[in-house]
Amino acid sequence: MSRDNSLNNDKKSVKGSNVGSLIVSIFFILAGFLTLFDTQSYTDADSSVFPQAAAILLILCASVSTIQNLIRPMADEGFGRGSWWRRLLLVTTMLLTCFAMPYIGFLLAAVISFVGGMIAAMHDRWSLKALIVYLGSGALIMVVFYMLFRYALYVPLP
Amino acid sequence: VGIDNFLAALTLTNIALALFGVVAGTIIGSIPGLTATMAVAVLVPITFSMEPASALILLGAIYTGAIYGGAYAAILLNTPGTPSAIATTFDGYPMAKRGDGDLAVALACFASVFGGLVGAMALLFLAPPLSEVALAFGPGEYFWLSIFGLSLIAALSNGNLMKGLAGGAFGLILSTVGVAEISADIRLTFGSQTLISGFGVVGALIGLYCIPVLIDLVAVPDRHLKIEDDVKSVRIGEAAAIAMKSKVNLIRSSIIGTLVGILPGAGGSVAGLVAYSEAKRNASPDQKFGEGEPDGIIATESANNATVGGGFIPTLVLGIPGTPPDAVILGALLVQGVRTGPTLFQSGSDSIAYTFIYGLLIATILMLPVGLLIGRYAYKSIVTIPKAVLVPTVGFMTIIGTFAIHNSISDVGIMIGLGVFGWIVGRFGFSASPIVLGLILGPIAEQGFVQSWIIGSATNDLIGMFFGRPISQAIVAFTLLSLFYPLFVGRRQRAKK
Repeated sequence: MSRDNSLNNDKKSVKGSNVGSLIVSIFFILAGFLTLFDTQSYTDADSSVFPQAAAILLILCASVSTIQNLIRPMADEGFGRGSWWRRLLLVTTMLLTCFAMPYIGFLLAAVISFVGGMIAAMHDRWSLKALIVYLGSGALIMVVFYMLFRYALYVPLP
Repeated sequence: VGIDNFLAALTLTNIALALFGVVAGTIIGSIPGLTATMAVAVLVPITFSMEPASALILLGAIYTGAIYGGAYAAILLNTPGTPSAIATTFDGYPMAKRGDGDLAVALACFASVFGGLVGAMALLFLAPPLSEVALAFGPGEYFWLSIFGLSLIAALSNGNLMKGLAGGAFGLILSTVGVAEISADIRLTFGSQTLISGFGVVGALIGLYCIPVLIDLVAVPDRHLKIEDDVKSVRIGEAAAIAMKSKVNLIRSSIIGTLVGILPGAGGSVAGLVAYSEAKRNASPDQKFGEGEPDGIIATESANNATVGGGFIPTLVLGIPGTPPDAVILGALLVQGVRTGPTLFQSGSDSIAYTFIYGLLIATILMLPVGLLIGRYAYKSIVTIPKAVLVPTVGFMTIIGTFAIHNSISDVGIMIGLGVFGWIVGRFGFSASPIVLGLILGPIAEQGFVQSWIIGSATNDLIGMFFGRPISQAIVAFTLLSLFYPLFVGRRQRAKK
C-alpha cells in the first residue's frame, strides 16, 4: 500500500471557518433544553434540581460562546490534515468488533479490530516480513491479554 | 510504633509480597480500564490463607503500585491507566509529545514515591487524630470540594472559558444519566436499557482521552512521540533535580492527597485534580501548565499516591473506607476476622496495623527501582513500536479494558461513541478535560448539594448549611482564589508593564 495521497486534501479546512464551533455550541444548547424537558417527568424534585442547574449552565455558556463566535469569529482548528478513510476504517472496525463480539466471540472479534487498526495505521509500504511480524505480534498480544483477562482476572469474555 | 513492628514487616516473605504487589499493581494499573480497585479485588482471594499483616502488605503494595502505574498510559498514550491519573495527562502527554516522555515517567515515579511516603507517614503517626477530619466533612463540604475541583475548568479551557464551562456542564449532565442516587428516578435514558447504569467513569475516560489520540494517529504518517536521539535511558538525575526544585509543590500536593484520601468517596482522581489546581495557582508566570509543565505531573502523582496512606486512616481507625480499593481491603480484613477501630493501633509486637504500615512504607520505597525500571521499558516500547502495531494494540486494550469493568459490550459501544464525540468537539475548541471533570465530580457535587438542600430546608437554615461551617468557608475561599487569582496576577503584571 503506497503512502497516502490524501494528506493535503483537507488542508483547506484548517483555516477560516467557525461553523463547526457554532454547530457544537448549538448541539450543547439543544442538549440543555432536552435535559430540562426530561426533568419534567421526574417524580421527586430532588432528582431534577441538579440536572436542571447543569442544563441552565450549559445553555447559558453555549449561548455566550455562540454569540462570541458570531460577534468576534475565530477560526476553528477544524479536522486538520490527515486521511479520512484511515480514521473511518479505525472507528468502523472498532464498532464492528463491539457489535460482532456476542456472535463470533471475543477472539475473532478482536482479530477484526486488530487487522482494521493495523491497516489504518500502516503508512509505510507493506512487505511480507512486516506483515508476518505485525500479524504475529498481534496474535501474541491478543492471546496473552485474552489469557490474562479470562483466566487470571476471571473476566467472562464472550 | 516500635522496632518490633518494623522487624515484623521486614521478613523475607513480607518483602517478597511487597515486591510482587508493587510489580503486579504497576503493570495492572498501566493497562487502561484496569483500575486499582480491580487489581486489589482480583488478588484478594489469594490473601485469605496468609497472615493478616502479610495480606494487608500485599494488598497495600498492589494498591500503591496500581495508582502509580496509571501514570504510564497517561504520559505515553494520553489515556489515564486509572482515574487517579487524569490530571497526569494534562502535562504528561504534552511532555511526551515533545520528546520528554522519559523525563515525565521518571518524574512521576519520584513524585509517586514521595507522595506515598507522606501518606504512609501520616498513617503511621497521625491516624487517630486525622480520622476526625473524615467525620468533620458533611454534605456541604463535599459539595464545595467538588466545586473547587470544577474550578480547574478555568485552567483547562485552552483560552476559551465559555467553551470550557459548557464542556464541564455537559459532563455534569452526563453524570446524571441513569438512576438517581438519592430518589431513584430514571434520568435522561430516553427509554434505553443500556443507559440505565449511566456513563461509567473509566469507560468514558478511555473513550474521551484515548480514542481521539488513536483517530489522530492513524490519519498521518508522523511518529507517535518525538524521540530525543541523545538520550539513551530514563533521565533519572534530571528528574531528581526537578523534583528537588519543586519540593514545596511536592510537599503541598502530598498533604492535599493525604487529606483528600481521608475523605470517604473522594479518592485519587479528586486529590490529583485539587493538587493540580493548587500547583497551577501557585505557579510562576513563566510556567505553562497544560503544555508540558513538570510541576503538573509532580502535583498529580504525589497527591494520588498520598491518598493510599490517607485512605487507610478512616478505613483502619473508623471502619469507613476512604477510597474504593480500601473498601475491598476492608472486606478482606473482615474475612480474616480483623476488627478495625482504634484498638487496632495499640502498639505491641503483634500489632497488625503498625506491621502493615511499615510494610506499606517498604512497598513504597520498592516502587522507586521497580517504577523506574518498568518505566524505562514502557517508554522504550511505546516510542519504538511501529504505529501499525501500537494503534491496534491500544485499540484492542481499550476494548478489553472497557468490557472488563462491567462485562458489558454496551460499555464498549458507549466508550467508542464518546471517543468519537470527544474527537469531534475537541477539534472545535471544546476540550475533553472539562467534560471528564464534570463527569467525575458530578455525582459528588449532586449528592452533597441535594443532601445539604434537604437538611437545610428541614432545619430552615439553607445558608448556614452551605456557608455556615468553617471548612466550607475555607473551601469557598480557595475556590474563589483559584478562579480569580490568575486574573489578579495578570492585571498586576499588565499594570507593571
